[in-house]
Amino acid sequence: MKLFKVLTMLIATIILPHSALADVAFSGYGSIVAGKTFGSVDDPLNPGETRDEILTADFYDVGQYDNDIKFTPESVFALQALVDLGDDLKFTAQLVAKGTDDFEPEFDWYYLTYQVNDSWSVMAGRRNIPMYYYSEFSEVGYAYPWMRPPSNLYWWQITQFNSFQASYDFEWGDYSNNLTFFYGNENSYDNKEMLFYDELFGGNARSVDEFWSDILGFNWNIAGDDFEVRFVYFQNDRDRTTTAQDGTETDSVPFDQQFLGFGGYYNFNQFTFLFDWNHVEYDDVVGTEYPTYLVSLVYNIGDFQPYIAYSKADHENTKTEAATKDLEEHYILGYGVRYNFHPSASFKIQYDKFEEQGNKATGWAYHGDSRTLTMGIDFIF
Amino acid sequence: MEKLQPKRNKPEKLIGLIFASLFIFISNIAFAEIAVIVHPDNSASLDKKTIKKIFMGKVKKFDNGNVILPMNASKGAASRDNFNKLVIGRTTTQVNAYWSKLVFTGKGTMPRELSSDAEIIATVSANKDAISYVDASAVTDAVKVIATY
Repeated sequence: MKLFKVLTMLIATIILPHSALADVAFSGYGSIVAGKTFGSVDDPLNPGETRDEILTADFYDVGQYDNDIKFTPESVFALQALVDLGDDLKFTAQLVAKGTDDFEPEFDWYYLTYQVNDSWSVMAGRRNIPMYYYSEFSEVGYAYPWMRPPSNLYWWQITQFNSFQASYDFEWGDYSNNLTFFYGNENSYDNKEMLFYDELFGGNARSVDEFWSDILGFNWNIAGDDFEVRFVYFQNDRDRTTTAQDGTETDSVPFDQQFLGFGGYYNFNQFTFLFDWNHVEYDDVVGTEYPTYLVSLVYNIGDFQPYIAYSKADHENTKTEAATKDLEEHYILGYGVRYNFHPSASFKIQYDKFEEQGNKATGWAYHGDSRTLTMGIDFIF
Repeated sequence: MEKLQPKRNKPEKLIGLIFASLFIFISNIAFAEIAVIVHPDNSASLDKKTIKKIFMGKVKKFDNGNVILPMNASKGAASRDNFNKLVIGRTTTQVNAYWSKLVFTGKGTMPRELSSDAEIIATVSANKDAISYVDASAVTDAVKVIATY
């Protein structure tokens, strides 16, 4: 939404020159990750042919590993500027450069925050959609133990939106709570992931536009001494327009989507248990549902954090006349170590086994098995 | 290019070896006593739980309504590691990871960092709403100790 971008920037530029004493704080994060897959598989979409094993590490940006060592699928650098405009008003912008975009920097985040009182704050601007537990900070590798939140769950073609949010902090017994309500829209013209699928399944589209509108929902975070849990619910409208090479536009049948999730972590002794359970439902003609979950265990020993993670994704049609489970299905079993060699930087090494369990006959087994080794350094400043 | 003999690597063994060798290193952390300090005029009484919440950004004001200014020792300072371990109950990396998710989603501002115990004492003694911590042996009369761990 160009207008939204222009408005946010305009507000910032109007306010900035008037606050001569505006306090600007810079910070940032980054990840330098290299990896490769091992061996080859029968090409699921071209029977009789083989190809390199492929792991899609980043669906939204189509960051994929194959047999060649690559740095581009997941490496990212981000610079954040936090401008304190005074009187409880702040402006934040994040310039993000990703390997998948040839490290061309883009303003991925820009929003205003106003602290209304001790409990309430409001935000307006461009941010990540708070979908899965790790969605909002999925690119801040330093913030979680693994190389990435399991990519077979974080597979959506839309990850950001232009939104208004209202956040309410409160204490409930001994627990710190936060309730955040959000409303927003995202018009993703020439969506990278959707065009990738179009080509993968033999299409020849010029572009695919993906529209998620009236994204309305809430997050509820509850944090105690040793744990944090988060509920999420949101719904939105889904529309898609595919443009052929000759310019002919085809609109997909629109439908509503509902997203439900419950995730968090629990620290006990030297262990951390992390989990995320999610359920996505469409009100389309076949009753599409995506049940997904993640479980992970981390052992914190000195500067080392060995971990194991299992993430499972499923896809079902639930309407009686179309009911089937022979669609997309896969899991990733990943294990690795995070070595905190520096107060602001960590080295990680991770091995992932992607197990394709989708139905071959219906074309949904399109990922194929893969075994991937990635190594990288995450840092903050 | 066509591959005549698709190579089936056996990466599992190699990776197992790498992980196993990483565990040969075990870090030792020595704990020195740390003192949590405030301005001498600050009459707030804070228990460990509240101090933890202040440094995790969950408690932002003193009972008198003043905004708390928590301050950390520098990155890599032994007192910071000890404070995180003894008061927050996490490693410095876990605390930094917690803050990085708040900072880069606009949900919090990490406590300011000061470079030495001397600078921390000077800053706390000059600011009525500051709270920080130093190695217990570095405490002077310029500040008030509200707890030691």
